[in-house]
Amino acid sequence: MTAAVPFAPARLFDTDREALRRLVHEVGTDPAQRFVLGPRTAELERALIERTGAADVVACGSGTGALLLALHALGIDAGDEVIVPAFAFPSVASTVLELGATPVFADVDPRLMVLDPVDTQARITTRTRAVMPAHLFSGMADMRPFRQLGRKHGIAVVEDAAVAQGATFAGVPAGRWGDLGVYSFFPAKPFGGIGEGGVVLTDDPERGRRVRLLRDHGQDGSRVSELLGHSSRFDEVVAAFQLHRLPTLTARLARRAAIADRYAERFAPLAGRGVLAPPVGRDGRCLYVYPVLAERRDALRDHLAARGVGTRIYNPVPLPRLPAFAECVPAGDGWPVSERLGRQNLALPLWPGMTDEDVDRVTDAVCEFAEQE
Amino acid sequence: MRTAAGRVMTGPANFSVAAPAGVSFFSQAASFDAVWPAISRHLDELVDQNSFSHGAKVRALEAAIAGWTGARFAVGVNSGTDALVLLLRAAGLRAGDEVVVAAYGAVASASAVLMAGGRPVFADVDPAGYSLEPAAAAAAVTDRTRVLLPAHAAHQLADLAGLTDLSVRRGLTLLEDSASALGMRWAGRHAGLQGRGGVLSFFPTKTLGAIGDAGMVITDDERIAELVGALRDHGRAPGGTGPSLMSGVNSKMDELQAAVLLAKLDRLDRDISVRARLAAAYDVRLRPLPGVLLPTVQPRPVPTTTVVSAYVVAVERRDALVAHLARRGIGTEVSCPRPLHLQPCFAALGGRPGQFPVAEAAAASTLSLPLHADLRPEQVELVCDAISEFFAGRP
Repeated sequence: MTAAVPFAPARLFDTDREALRRLVHEVGTDPAQRFVLGPRTAELERALIERTGAADVVACGSGTGALLLALHALGIDAGDEVIVPAFAFPSVASTVLELGATPVFADVDPRLMVLDPVDTQARITTRTRAVMPAHLFSGMADMRPFRQLGRKHGIAVVEDAAVAQGATFAGVPAGRWGDLGVYSFFPAKPFGGIGEGGVVLTDDPERGRRVRLLRDHGQDGSRVSELLGHSSRFDEVVAAFQLHRLPTLTARLARRAAIADRYAERFAPLAGRGVLAPPVGRDGRCLYVYPVLAERRDALRDHLAARGVGTRIYNPVPLPRLPAFAECVPAGDGWPVSERLGRQNLALPLWPGMTDEDVDRVTDAVCEFAEQE
Repeated sequence: MRTAAGRVMTGPANFSVAAPAGVSFFSQAASFDAVWPAISRHLDELVDQNSFSHGAKVRALEAAIAGWTGARFAVGVNSGTDALVLLLRAAGLRAGDEVVVAAYGAVASASAVLMAGGRPVFADVDPAGYSLEPAAAAAAVTDRTRVLLPAHAAHQLADLAGLTDLSVRRGLTLLEDSASALGMRWAGRHAGLQGRGGVLSFFPTKTLGAIGDAGMVITDDERIAELVGALRDHGRAPGGTGPSLMSGVNSKMDELQAAVLLAKLDRLDRDISVRARLAAAYDVRLRPLPGVLLPTVQPRPVPTTTVVSAYVVAVERRDALVAHLARRGIGTEVSCPRPLHLQPCFAALGGRPGQFPVAEAAAASTLSLPLHADLRPEQVELVCDAISEFFAGRP
């Protein structure tokens, strides 16, 4: 049965068909015949520099690719440790392993679901070279404690802002809080595109230059490779489509915010009735996904499905418990908050094309469930 | 905002700079226009299917390429480079394993080995085809060598008889950097399938090119296909929603690029013939020039199929020729300006000048002339006129 309000829209780019055709045709027939890391990519980078105030924004193959380039630019290597959240997408750990380093998993904050600075501090060793907080769902991590840890221990901070484009904390855009930050343009993201893509942001021009080399085999077009690099580049067609979508990004984020506000208003009374919504009035709101926590999570999911509301469960298993990362996990270690969040989280639909009726359908169904509790 | 040529760009929509009169190194604009109706239909389907990477079109392309090459398995990834890294990993490369690679070629051939956790060991190439020379490779084998990784030259497969023999004698795994070798066959078997697996690059300038990055692993080995299939998508099993079973990467092929490749695939046989005709036209005009070493097809002990994926010539004053052609608006490409053992990124491997004389000479003297399916015969003539001028001493 197709959900009346699916978790994600059935056609993300339905109203962009003509533009997509036009842009692809332009790139394909452009006399310059540039397809990768060309003028459109450069224009997108400049636009994001202007929008964020970063010193450099470097386009690359994906959010995961951006994390890899950021870690590599910092010199993360075999023997190094990087502290990452246990409740997160696998990329925070796989990119560390990719460089031969060791991910050290720390637990997350029970309310904000992001890396907990206290557990992070407890896991710092003499081998720790970086910490990688990840913004999630609907709220940025407060980056200030991590910057303090970084300064105190000489540790670099990589800000995984893959989902947080458009969010600000203390007036500073997500992606600008670390030594390096990343955004993802995976289609489902707030600034999702027509293919895989991402960017690295930095306030350090030398770091930016390094990332530019690392994304393209360690060279700048000369085919003489200064550094050992990767193939993590950006397609002109993807850049063209992002440039087309950029002017409407603010409006789309505003619609997401309005939907989140409506959810917050309707769900505030439910806290004592088994459905916990994200905290309101907090700086650093980001508008990727709207998660609620419910002790009877699966029952809530089923209840919503029966009423035509699609949902999604994120990170059901903490990363250190996945087969992929079992070998870098010390015996006896535990992440109780991540385990609990994995059992309790349920993300509700949050996309700009939702009508007010769609929103009401969701809130009515959730409130109905809570009333039964 | 001024471009390097001094033109003022009047806003985000105008990215084109008019090509100077001359012959650009590469274009696929005419082919693109010819298949535009099919691409346009694919774009509509893309929006309707609402998945933009690693989806139905990538699967369709994998099936089509498997069929065209005869491979049992074809696994779509984001680039030829990523294909090499994942192939090496899937073939079981362990830390410290040595992989013999040619000292002439793309940096990616050797950097992929390091990215996969191994150690590249360079060996010299043959002077006619610039591919890994079996006796040189044999001399580079140690008791830590695990893999032979020949790259195939622009127009002809490496000496696979000698290399297969070496791999069998010394118990090595043969993998092929067949990124540029689409259409080439050895005794009827497609490039990349002689050993445990190979790769394809669909970078725009390749024989079958997308309009962005794209690549593929091809193999008859089910386990390799399975592993690459998972590694490219964060280590997840097919279906893409399950947990990470192994630590992977994001090297998913874009649906849009798969669509372009599907649309162009119908023209592949025709394009290969066009390339052959254009290469023959170059041969005729350039053969009388004593200063130009033309691509030569080496005799092989079995029937082979050659494809001109690039037209690579060697001249003594290579950089002067490149500059001379550039002044006439003729684009060229020097794909290997420095032999790999002397690339700065591999300095820690201890390469020294004089170690691989054939590769060093090739890197100093080779360049690629414009050669692609949209090139017109009169453009070949223009290029050859300019080259003749150079050798006649006319500025």
